[in-house]
Order: sequence, then structure tokens, then C-alpha cells
Amino acid sequence: MTEPTAVIHDIGYRHYDGVRLGRGRATLALGVQSLRGVFGFGRTTRAKIMPLLLMAIMLMPTVVSIGVMALAKQFIMPYPGYAVFMQAVIAVFLAAQSPYLVAPDLRFRVLPLYLSRPLTVTDYVVAKLAALAVALFGLLAVPITIQFVGELLVDLPGPPHTADYLGALGGAVLYAVLLSSVGIALASFTPRRGLGVAVVIAFYMFTAAVSTLFYAVLSSTGRDDVAPWALILNPFFLVDTVQSALFGTAPINDEGYPPGIAACLILLAVIALAVTGVLLRYRKAAS
Amino acid sequence: MNTVVADITYRAMLGRKRIWLLVLLPVALVVLAALLRLINGHDEQTAVTLMKSFAIGTMLPLLGLIAGTGVVAPEIEDGTIIHLLSKPISRPVIAVTKFVVAASLVAVFAAVSTYAAAYLLTGSESGVATGFTLGALFGGIAYAAVFLLLGVLTRHAVAVGVIYALVWEGVVGGYVPGARKFSIQQWAQSLADQVSSSPFFSSEVTLGFAVPAMVIVTVGAVVWTGQRLRSLSLTGDE
Repeated sequence: MTEPTAVIHDIGYRHYDGVRLGRGRATLALGVQSLRGVFGFGRTTRAKIMPLLLMAIMLMPTVVSIGVMALAKQFIMPYPGYAVFMQAVIAVFLAAQSPYLVAPDLRFRVLPLYLSRPLTVTDYVVAKLAALAVALFGLLAVPITIQFVGELLVDLPGPPHTADYLGALGGAVLYAVLLSSVGIALASFTPRRGLGVAVVIAFYMFTAAVSTLFYAVLSSTGRDDVAPWALILNPFFLVDTVQSALFGTAPINDEGYPPGIAACLILLAVIALAVTGVLLRYRKAAS
Repeated sequence: MNTVVADITYRAMLGRKRIWLLVLLPVALVVLAALLRLINGHDEQTAVTLMKSFAIGTMLPLLGLIAGTGVVAPEIEDGTIIHLLSKPISRPVIAVTKFVVAASLVAVFAAVSTYAAAYLLTGSESGVATGFTLGALFGGIAYAAVFLLLGVLTRHAVAVGVIYALVWEGVVGGYVPGARKFSIQQWAQSLADQVSSSPFFSSEVTLGFAVPAMVIVTVGAVVWTGQRLRSLSLTGDE
């Protein structure tokens, strides 16, 4: 019987003795990292092309509008209508970027790794929703803010459109919250990024086409009382209705919208439905 | 054309969540037609609007996008295409097979639902139903070919396809008349216009331009897909 010769060496692993920052900071970190990722920062060059290109397209009308203000002294692009005017670009941004936020984590089944930290399912969902909402707000707010600064610098005759600008900023918050919750809800149902993009864009194209179609048919047959309801099937017109009701901006559609209070309730209901959908989806994905 | 590859691709397309989008959109078209029929009764103008803006303008590019990229892009994304490419099957044959699968799916789903919806609204009046069915059939085939090509050219095939369908055909085509000449939707509409004699409908691109353009684009896209597959490099996912 020989004595055991094995030894345990202390190779100097050390415990973490610092402050543990907890759930809030974990959520914040995930949110910031997701937000950077939406614009392609911290990712490959190829991932940066799409979001930055779309951002550049969003800025084009601003550049044109500032040019016209400086040279022709005319105000051509009202702030509250910017999002409706650029809705196709915003929809493409939403469709292209919301699957990035949720699909890879589902596809590579790394959700349990996140949840082994202090982060809860709700924190994860909140971080992802907030990241996309902030990104969309930036996409909407940066062009109109640049245009507003341009308007102040050019100093057109007459007062600046400050109320319109602030109303449009408020509207941008609404657009960001509605679109991000719907985008994440739709994208999180598939772990495939390509299919996620298709689902989100199909949602936008479908609602936009149906709303235009029914509006045209209903108003051409003289049912002017129902026609505006068809219009708000399109999420962009829904938010525009709420925006003009809450902030008193001029509506894009001259023929009138349904009553603002109803539109507000519909907006809230859609957001609540989408967020509940995401939460339920992740309760299932996490287990 | 390789039947084994076609069989596998059909199963991959029809057995997943993808099928829901392929079914939902055509069903929605028929439901919309039924709703409009309830609201308005038989109405040729409504039928033409529905066909132009929804069937050809919304459903067709989406179906083309889902089917065209769906037959090849997921395999590239997962890297499983390497098993297919390592088999002694010529790459152009693989491309043609994938194209046939995608085109047949789009053609069936788009054409059948288009005919049903148009028939619900107009019956067989002035050839609206047959015209748009023909347009959807050939437009769908062209879309399938173009989006199949996109699927092998780029990782972001769906996003690029969406930009083409929404921004180029929708927004740019709306403001710049010249852009409409290079839009599959418009070619499909000129086919439809050739058959239908509806006074509410006129296409902007002549048939003499649309048909050759459609053939060139479809054949060109499939051939290019085959060439591209011969030298496909698989890079890691970001």
C-alpha cells in the first residue's frame, strides 16, 4: 500500500469579489448590446450595410427639404407626415432588423444561458423591445430633428413649426413602441431570420394593401362614415390618427379619421396584444 | 431536373412553418374578395382594383419571395447545402430543379387563388379572371426565378427582395414612370391586360416589351443561379 501521490495545486483562480450589479444592469447591458447590433455596430461590415443604407435613405428627404428651404425659401416637408411618407423604408427597416434581435438566440438555443444569470424572461423581452423601440425612434427622430435645426438656421419668414416638430417627436415615440412590439412579436415565432423578415414584411404589405383597398372601395361607394375605419388598418395611419388626436398635428388624410379616442384604444390594445404574445412565446421557449 | 432533389425540396417547403404563409396569403385574397362581394356585389372595377393592388401588387411578390428564397436560402444558412452540392449532380440541374419547385408552388397558390377571387367578384365577365390568372401565373414564375437567384447571391436575400418589391416596384415605380418598365408586376399586368377587355384596366408596359423581358429575366436568373452554385462558398454565420 503506497501513499497517494496526487496533489491539488492552487493555480490561483480567484473569486469575483466586486459589486454584483444585478438584474437592472444585466437588462441594460443586453438592451445596449442589442441596440448596437440593430445598426450593425459590433457586427460584420455586411451587417452594417442594410441598416445604415436605410438610415441614409431616411435622411434623403431631409436633405432635399433643407436645400429647398435654403434656396427657394419654401417649406415643403411637414414634420408630422414624415413617417407616413417614408413608411415603406421604415417597414423594411423593421422587417430586416427585428428578426436579428430574436432569431439567432432562438435558433442556437442560447436562451437558457441568458436565463442562468439574474436576468428573467421578462427582462430579456423588455431589453429586446426597448432596443428596437429606441432604434426606430432614432430612425424617425434624427431626420426630423436635422430638418428642424435646418429650418431654424435658414430662418424662413414666419414662425418656426415648433409645435409640429414636437408633435412629430411624440408621434415617433408612438410609432417606435407600436412597430417594435409588433415586429418582435411576429419575428419571435420563427427561429429563421429569412422567414422572420418575410413574416414582418408580409404583415406590413398586407395591412397596407387591405387598408388602401377598402378605403378606396368604401369611399367610392359613398360609405364615408365607415371608410376612415378601413384606413387605420395600416399601422402607420393608426399612429397618425392618434398623433393628430393627442398632439393636435394636421392629419395626413384630409377626409378625416375615426374619432381619436377609439384610435388610442385600438393602439393600446394592439401593443398589449403584441407584448403579451411575445411574453407567452418566451415563457414557452425558456422552459 | 432531378426528382429526388425536387422531392426533398417539396417536403422542406411544405412541412414547415413556411407553408402557413404560402397558404394564408391566397386564403386572405379569397376572403377579401368574398367581403368585397358582400359590401359591393358584382363589381368589375372593384375586382380590377383588388387584382391590381392585392393579387398582383402584394400577394404575388410575397409568395415569390417566400417560395423563391425558401427553396435554397435556409439550406445555405444551415450549411446543409454542402451535402447536396457534394453529390454528382450538375449544379445547373440543381438550380433548375429548385426553380421548378419554387415556380410550381407560386404558380399553384397564386393562380388558383387569383382566379377564385376574380371569379367571385366578376364571374367570367370581360376576361378579368382569366387575364389576371395568366398574369399571376407567369409573374409568379418570374418572381420565383429572381428571388431564387437572390437566395444564392446574398445572405440577406429576403431583405434585398423586400427592398426590390416594396421600394423599387412600389415607391419608385409610383413616382418615376420609367422604373415601371423594369418591374415584374407591370409585366404581369400587361399579360392580364392582353386577355381582359375590361374598360377599368389598362397596363403601362406594352406586351412586346413585357414578354421578352419576362423570358429573359426568368431564364437569365436560373442560368445565373446554376453558375453561382458552381462556385458557391460557404462562409460562417455572423
